Amino acid sequence: MNLVPVTYKGGIYRHDEIRDLIEDLGGYIIQKHIIAQEVVLQALVPKEDIPLIAAIAKPLTGVIIPSPLVGTEIAVVSMSLEIHHLPHASCDVAEYIRRMGAKSNMVGLARGFGKRIAQLNDEERDVINEHDLAVYLLGDFETCIKQKFPVLRRGIEVPIIVCGGPSTETLREIIDPPVDGYVGNVGRFMHRTKESEELAKLDDVVDEITRVLDRKREGIAKDPPSVSPARLMDVINEQVDEIHEVLSPTPVTVQMTGLRVKLPYDTFARVLKDIPLEEGVTIGEVADIVPSRMRDYILVRIRPFSDTNIMV
Amino acid sequence: MEAVEYFEVECPEKIGGDYYRRIADVVLLDHNLIRVVKKLHIFIDPRIPLFIGVGVTKRLPGVVRLMDFADVLIKEQKVTISIGDETYLAPLLKILWEQYGKENVEQPDRFTIILQIEGADMKSIEEIPVYDPRESIYKDLIYALQVIQPEGFKVRRQYYGGEKFYLVASEDTLPENIEEIVREKFSLMGESL
Repeated sequence: MNLVPVTYKGGIYRHDEIRDLIEDLGGYIIQKHIIAQEVVLQALVPKEDIPLIAAIAKPLTGVIIPSPLVGTEIAVVSMSLEIHHLPHASCDVAEYIRRMGAKSNMVGLARGFGKRIAQLNDEERDVINEHDLAVYLLGDFETCIKQKFPVLRRGIEVPIIVCGGPSTETLREIIDPPVDGYVGNVGRFMHRTKESEELAKLDDVVDEITRVLDRKREGIAKDPPSVSPARLMDVINEQVDEIHEVLSPTPVTVQMTGLRVKLPYDTFARVLKDIPLEEGVTIGEVADIVPSRMRDYILVRIRPFSDTNIMV
Repeated sequence: MEAVEYFEVECPEKIGGDYYRRIADVVLLDHNLIRVVKKLHIFIDPRIPLFIGVGVTKRLPGVVRLMDFADVLIKEQKVTISIGDETYLAPLLKILWEQYGKENVEQPDRFTIILQIEGADMKSIEEIPVYDPRESIYKDLIYALQVIQPEGFKVRRQYYGGEKFYLVASEDTLPENIEEIVREKFSLMGESL
């Protein structure tokens, strides 16, 4: 069954029918927002059933839109949390990709500013590596980017997309070895992105992220994880009652090959490990459960099929 | 930036310079300083790295006195001040408390202050200086320049006074001839420091 990421938008009236339908079809709801009278569901659904959901949603004036970023966790790396970079451009980018379905976290570097003095510490490096992809928002000067970027990428293993003031071609030229994606003309600015030209730039960022993630998905498809992360989320939601008491917007955050579970590691790591998936297979057998560098959360890294020889 | 007589951004990287032009524009607008600045020259060289912002302000409005925003009425021991513009109410109250003591300053409603003092002189009360815009404007200008400058330039030198101001910033120690460079930038605007 080929699950594709979609967003459903519709009224609150009878939206539980859509929720039940997605679940009955074998899909998973990753996130549900209720904003006033509107419901936004971010879900993974079987590709062949999209027309069916659209047909059932039509009388409820609901729409279903493909959103390739659903089910990913993306780090938006800002050079600092000073007024120079916030709220524009960092928040604008983070918010825009959040609207496209991604779970975005902003990583504000403690000493990312400057040309010669820029640094990346081990905690920042590890936090960035816990994501599916990192979007670096750099400044306006190519001289600075050229000098500081090698320091900021040291030890980063996830795909990187570089955004900066110079043009895409210039970024491509000055960054060596190459990174996975480049978006030019998105450097430091201090006004809100609301003109169509600027929004088009944010669309470019989303397109580049989609392209890089699609390539990553192709790689993952060659050796798929032993269990789908969305399914694992469902199992945890069912079996661990305490997760419903967590107040974060996404108590279980779905990534491409893992999960971030927002429960304390010391208390719940053992509990998670022993949860049965089916017929004597426990989570501990198909995934590594490690402490996250983000607060005291748990990171579940699902092992690939080639490693476990189990497919649940 | 039409309100500013002279505004230039000098930078060896054209694209970066253009971005900083926009940034400076937005920051001054956000901080309500466009009306204050007469000339502004920004020089950024990311290769050194060095940031210089030099400028000249317009003639600033003078000291705001009590009579500019309030009416005074004296009846024997009772002085009634009717406030027209609340903007300066807080600094005025502070001054009155200091001068006459809190027990003698009453404020029955937002727009009235009653002083219980003997032998009050109408003129001297009306002439009380309440707010001097020059005090804060230069601080605001320097702060705005710090927001405009690339982040991470922690070595700074700043100056203001006599309608002129500048901010120099770098990551490294400032060059020894920095004052000379600043004077040069002032002369580009047809001014001298």
